[in-house]
Amino acid sequence: MADEFNQIRGTLSTNRQQLLKRLNVVATGIGYKQTDGTKTSTVCIVCSVKKKVKAEQLSAQDLVPTAVAGMPTDVVETGVIRAFQAPTGRFRPAPGGVSIGHVAITAGTLGCWVNKNGRKVILSNNHVLANSNDAEIGDAILQPGPFDGGSFPQDHLANLTQFVPISFEEEPSECSFANAVISIFNLGCKVINSNTRYRVAKVQAADNLVDAAIATPLNAADVQDEILNIGPLQGTAQGELGMAIKKSGRTTGFTTGEIQQIDVTADVQYGGGRIARFTDQLLAGAMSQGGDSGSAVLNDNNRLVGLLFAGSDTTTIINRIEHVFSALGVSL
Amino acid sequence: MRVIVWILALIIPLMALGDDLGMSPSIQEVKKQHEPRFFNLPNVVSVGIGLDPNGNQAIIVGLDRPNPETESKLPASVEGYPVVVKIVGAIKAQ
Repeated sequence: MADEFNQIRGTLSTNRQQLLKRLNVVATGIGYKQTDGTKTSTVCIVCSVKKKVKAEQLSAQDLVPTAVAGMPTDVVETGVIRAFQAPTGRFRPAPGGVSIGHVAITAGTLGCWVNKNGRKVILSNNHVLANSNDAEIGDAILQPGPFDGGSFPQDHLANLTQFVPISFEEEPSECSFANAVISIFNLGCKVINSNTRYRVAKVQAADNLVDAAIATPLNAADVQDEILNIGPLQGTAQGELGMAIKKSGRTTGFTTGEIQQIDVTADVQYGGGRIARFTDQLLAGAMSQGGDSGSAVLNDNNRLVGLLFAGSDTTTIINRIEHVFSALGVSL
Repeated sequence: MRVIVWILALIIPLMALGDDLGMSPSIQEVKKQHEPRFFNLPNVVSVGIGLDPNGNQAIIVGLDRPNPETESKLPASVEGYPVVVKIVGAIKAQ
């Protein structure tokens, strides 16, 4: 056996160059020959090709011979072989699942590409693309995000187009007029010896359904309409209890989970002590960390079910995609 | 006109009766009704619908950290639906 391998190694090393020159051949190696999809015991030279083409369609110099110096060969289709690139790197064109961010934030995840008025736009979170409400329409969006070395203008991929404002919990009002009016009421209460006192508050925060925003690419050629390590989306679906899900994100890459709760109301902490309440969310187990926000969440059939935006050490909170699409007026 | 009044006079009490006998409310309705008082308890950060350890639909109350007082104030069930406490940790935008 060892002799057989040594012999075939020698043959491969003298013939490697001429094999790699042939059309579509992307790799050569030694393996067991496969016949009709099953492994045989014959050791052979394996030529991996981008695409299998019928022998008649190839010229003699492109056709992989059935044997090289008496050693059998096999042709296997592997597709194009790409270097694995970390999602924190720079991608052009840019797929879903990679680092992205507004110029003023650290980094989040480019969820996926969606349609807005016939144009492909980037879908991610408000807190990734619009700095948690603190942004202007037209602000620069960098890929990779600033934390991953993205800088303006070299890594300027898109401009903020639209965001759904996040409504944070009630905080004391700073309106001086309202405060003056209230002190008069309270003075009145004192005068009539009532124990009631009034307090100024901003309008009670509305419940949120989504943390979502979109950005339009500067250049249509930068759109790669698929998700890193997953592939193209196959439509949308409604998240249900017990559904198996997956995502591809900037920090933890490809991970899987299961929808453990639906109809979830949750209080989510944002920076600076701000809290926002979200309703009708999906909840899964641990499948994300900081920087994964904005990831597209898919079911087993690669249908889009949600937009990941928050979590703890043990849970992940996901917006329902139907709410995201209706709030932003976008579609697949 | 008189006929309509008579019909209404018959239907409206029947509707009220239907409500009283009514199908038991859905878990979504029960959750919605009790959620505000759950959120008023310290350390409650989430309320959702999931499964209890026996695989029955349950209202899951999430706490950012253990709080025996809050846990003792939460009922074991509401209107027939089990209430399950889970320590979920602080939920942060990621």
